[in-house]
Amino acid sequence: MAETNVTTRPGSEVTAQAQRVPTAVPRVDIIEDQTGITLWADLPGVSRDALEIKVEGDTLTIEGNVSLPVSEGMEPIYAEVRAPRYARSFTLSRDLDTAGIQAKLNQGVLELRIPKHQQAQPKRITVQAG
Amino acid sequence: MSSVLEQWKSGLGQSWEHLMEGWRQLWERAAGALTRFQPRERNDEKSASPNLPAPAGGVRWAVLGADIYETDEALEVRVEIPGLDREDLEVEVLDGQLVIRGEKRLEREEKQGQYRLMQCAYGRFQRAIALPVPVKAEEAKAEYRDGVLKITLPKAETAKTRRIAVQG
Repeated sequence: MAETNVTTRPGSEVTAQAQRVPTAVPRVDIIEDQTGITLWADLPGVSRDALEIKVEGDTLTIEGNVSLPVSEGMEPIYAEVRAPRYARSFTLSRDLDTAGIQAKLNQGVLELRIPKHQQAQPKRITVQAG
Repeated sequence: MSSVLEQWKSGLGQSWEHLMEGWRQLWERAAGALTRFQPRERNDEKSASPNLPAPAGGVRWAVLGADIYETDEALEVRVEIPGLDREDLEVEVLDGQLVIRGEKRLEREEKQGQYRLMQCAYGRFQRAIALPVPVKAEEAKAEYRDGVLKITLPKAETAKTRRIAVQG
């Protein structure tokens, strides 16, 4: 457990497409337990259809587009710094079983559960009374 | 020669003032978006896990980005507040300001976890946004979807745009 199972990547690793559109790096919480890791990412304004989660080799990428419909005749009069797109990549350790990833999206917060491979999970061995 | 130098100096002074004014405006906006999250008292948190680290200093900050749109009839304010329950959001109009209060709850208690990375802020927060025109607060509508709070505020009669025909 001493090694880091998830490594956040610097911005340069994000795909070329991401560099064309102003892109924000979402904030994340990551917690590891004995059977896997759980990752929460803040993605306000991203609906389920606009979210893409990809695993390529040992790289997990989260990409989401912000969809805020603007109705007819609406003029923006005040806007704070905001990117219409979120993207972030992580490098996953081999201990993690990417086939077992589960994702949930609730009010702009993505929850990803990535289990560890069976062999990477600690085993409890019961000592039999002899 | 000296007059040229003086002109140049005063020009420099002006652009410096412009720069400072720009900074001041940027700072004021950013200071509004940067919102303080006040965690609940430890005693309230019955199920708090000892494995989770307390955020440094007990207070976290997060940027809640806000946009204001305007139509002839209304203002529409959108604020990015991910991960709340509708019931934990409170919106009111007070002295020409839109005040948003809420609480982002930490729901990690059941996980017997080891800390890896914590970047999100949790706890109670309040954000006030100055409204550019008077509004009818009693007719305001709020909607919370995909972590974005959208508030529609009909303009007060006095604030509506009226076209005045020029008489020949």
